[in-house]
Order: sequence, then structure tokens, then C-alpha cells
Amino acid sequence: MATGLSKNVLLVDDNPLFLKILCQAFAAAGFNCQAANSGAEALERLKTFKPDVILSDYEMPGMNGLEFRLNVLQIDALREIPFLFLTAHEDEGIMYTGLNLQAIDYVLKTTPFDVIVSKLTNLLHTVSKQREISEQEIRKTVAALNIKTVPAAPPKVNGFDIDFWHQSYQNIPGGDFIDFIDTGNYLFVVIGDLMGKKWKAWFYTFTYLSYIRAAIRFSVITADTSLADTLQQINAVVCQDEGLDNILSSLSLMRIEKLTGRVIYSGAGDLPLLHFRSGTQELLQVKSTGMLLGVLPDGFYTEQEIALAPADELYIFTDGLIDISAGGQQKTDYRYFTSQMAGYLRSGQSFSDIKNKLQQQAGTLTDDSSIIYIKKN
Amino acid sequence: MLKIINEQPDYIIAQVNIAEANLNHADAFKSELVSLLTDKGRSVWLDMEQVTYVDSSFLGALVAGLKHALGAGNDLVLLDLQKDVHDLLKLIRLDRVFKIYADEQAAKAAINNNE
Repeated sequence: MATGLSKNVLLVDDNPLFLKILCQAFAAAGFNCQAANSGAEALERLKTFKPDVILSDYEMPGMNGLEFRLNVLQIDALREIPFLFLTAHEDEGIMYTGLNLQAIDYVLKTTPFDVIVSKLTNLLHTVSKQREISEQEIRKTVAALNIKTVPAAPPKVNGFDIDFWHQSYQNIPGGDFIDFIDTGNYLFVVIGDLMGKKWKAWFYTFTYLSYIRAAIRFSVITADTSLADTLQQINAVVCQDEGLDNILSSLSLMRIEKLTGRVIYSGAGDLPLLHFRSGTQELLQVKSTGMLLGVLPDGFYTEQEIALAPADELYIFTDGLIDISAGGQQKTDYRYFTSQMAGYLRSGQSFSDIKNKLQQQAGTLTDDSSIIYIKKN
Repeated sequence: MLKIINEQPDYIIAQVNIAEANLNHADAFKSELVSLLTDKGRSVWLDMEQVTYVDSSFLGALVAGLKHALGAGNDLVLLDLQKDVHDLLKLIRLDRVFKIYADEQAAKAAINNNE
């Protein structure tokens, strides 16, 4: 959750009355509570519901609590969820076995319901605090290693205004990345989105960025390398790197030729970028052809020149900006975002205005969000 | 998250029974899908009718499943995509990677024609 304490609990007990009353006590304390009458039902429920904590009876017919715990431990996505046992009586043997299965604690069934609820609330606060500390550690490590996945400021290039806006989901570095690589005659503009916001995403992002930076530098040394070939080279390396197995990324790559003002573009699984023609007030979509990096060894990359007239603007962005929440439902709507942008641009709003609007919405974002703005003077 | 609704000698149809297919489900879904592909040793056709939203993590899980299937000489086919989800796949060209059909009949007809 972006804000507040996430409070999803799964209760497992074969006594329906106990389950019902306990669930009501949790609901009254603001928990989203789901209940299962058996270990088997709980395992089925866990396929679609990921709780923040599991509270399970020990003595149940069929699969008992320990067997249920063993099943949970075998599923990667569930094994780290805090797990507590409910028992009818204190039995040191059972407790010892359970604690060996990384159960955090035991709760006697005779404990008053409000005390059980308080105990779990305190536990979730501790887990949340611990996560916060871990994230701070990651941020410190990233800062210490000088691993930046987004630059501190936009570059300055004669004939163009360039700016960007970026918001990382839950302020964890990694995921989206932006870079501007100045090679003298050219400025390369890089924006990408590593698919999935995984723990350690910043590490994969940095690996991707290293390959991208190296490929661009090589392309400048061997002056005849096209932008599409550069993308293909990046993709080939990514596909061969076992450390990046199943780590996919979109990438928009642009080369601005400083002497001529030409803008060349190639993309890998990126969203169509937007070209605002100031003369006609049209907002055009510019589509690339290439596959996401890391999917196929041959990514079908091509390149195109984008002819910019004076005062024309380009917007390149990642998919976090097209995810919207409507009527309590999450949806992806590229067209809605482009119609919003068309409205802003036709009413004469600047990129600073657009950044302000995006910043106001930042709290509702469910993914990293990034946008680069390029205006020809 | 995956419910088998039809088993044929050369493919299995499994329903994806979540609406918002996001980061919270991606890892568990990938494990379940890979287990299904491995256990059954056949192509899996995913009935996506119930899925109204997919995020990039879940798309990554789908691609991982596809690569696993192709590596074993099988396939991962997508059926009955909601319009928004299909539009997203087209926007980022994943429609060129996955075989996408309206339903089982359309998939059978297309695959038989190609054989």
C-alpha cells in the first residue's frame, strides 16, 4: 500500500462460529478479513488473496495447522507472510515444532478477541516498520554506489528545451529509468521501464542501463551503427545474460543530432510517443516496431526520423502514466491519457503546468511513472 | 488462480480467475503456470475473460510462461481477452509474440489451418 498500514488477514479454523466472531472483531478494527474452514480451503483462497498475516488453528480435521504451514512454506510468494498459530491449550511440543516452521507466535484460543486483534495490529506495525528500514537501507546503498537510474537534472542542448518528470512507486529506486548521454555531436535520450516492481529492481535496472550506455558509446565509435542496430545489440546481450532471465524492459531511444537538429527514434515495446504540432495543434502518435527487450533474440527493431517544426513538442512516457483508477477498478487507458494531454497542450499549458498536475496525482499512482519532454525552439 | 476447464490431448484450457492481474499476483501466477506447463507437458490456452486489468509485472509473468512453454516445444495461447487488455498488448507489440484468439473454436481453426 502506498499509504497507511495494509491490514489483510486470513483466518483458518474449522469452527465456523469462532471464525465468524473473530472475523467480525478484525473487521471492526479495520481489517480486511477472509476466512477459510480448512487448510485446503485456505490454500485455494491464497491463490487469489495475498494477506499481510495468516492466523491458523492448529487442530483441524484433514490437513492440520502444521501441514497447512508446510504447504505455505513451499510456495515462494507466500513463505514470507507472517504466520501465527491458534491453539486450544498450551503444549510445548506443538509450539516447538511450529516455531521450527518459522511460525512467529502462538495465540491461545482463550485469549480475548480484542487482545488477539491488538496483537496482530502490533505485529503488522513492526513488519511495516522493518520494511521501511529495509527500503531506507536500499536507498542508502544505491546512493553510496552512485547508481542513479534517473538523472538529477535535464541536459541543455542548443535548439531544444528538454525536461522530464519521474515518480518512483513507493519511492523505491528502480523500475523506470531515464538517461541522457551526451557524446559530443549527439545527445541520446533514453527512457525505459523494467517490467514488474521487484525487490532489487534497481539492480536489474542498473544492469540494463550499463548495457544501454555501453552500446550507445560503441555506436558512436563505429559511426555507421544505426539506432535500430544499437537496440538490437542491447537486446542480444540482454537475451544472453542469464542474470536477466525473464527480466523484460521497454525502451525508447532517441538520437538528437546537435548540428542538424534531426531527431531519430527507435523503440522496444514502448508506448507510442506523442508529437504535438504547434502549427496545426494536432497531437500525433509515433509508433515504433520493436519487441520488449529480453523477449526474443530478434526484436524487429526499426528507426524513423521525427520531423519537428519550430515549437513542436515530443512526449515520451512509461506505462505508469496510463494506469487509472475508475470506479474502484484499475484500468489501462492510453487514449484517456492522450486526450488529457491534447486538452492541456491545446489550451496552451506548459510542461511545468503538466508536471504540477502529475505531481498532484502522484499519490494515486500504482507504478513508476516517467515522462520526457522535448521541444524544438 | 488457474482453473483447468478443458483437457485435450494436445492442449489444456485454464481459466485465469482474477480481475486485476497485478504485481500482487504475478509471482504466484508464474509459479502456477510453469507448474501446469511442466506437469501436463502440453500447450496451455489461457481463458482471460475475467481479467480486466494487467500490469507490467503480470505481463512479465505471461512472457516468462510463454518462454517456458516454447522451450519445451509447446505454446501459451491467450483466449477471450478483454478489449482494454488486448489494446495494451497491441500497444506494446506483445500481440506479435502471443497467439491471441477470441475463443477455443477460433484458436483450433487457426492452428489447424497453420498445420
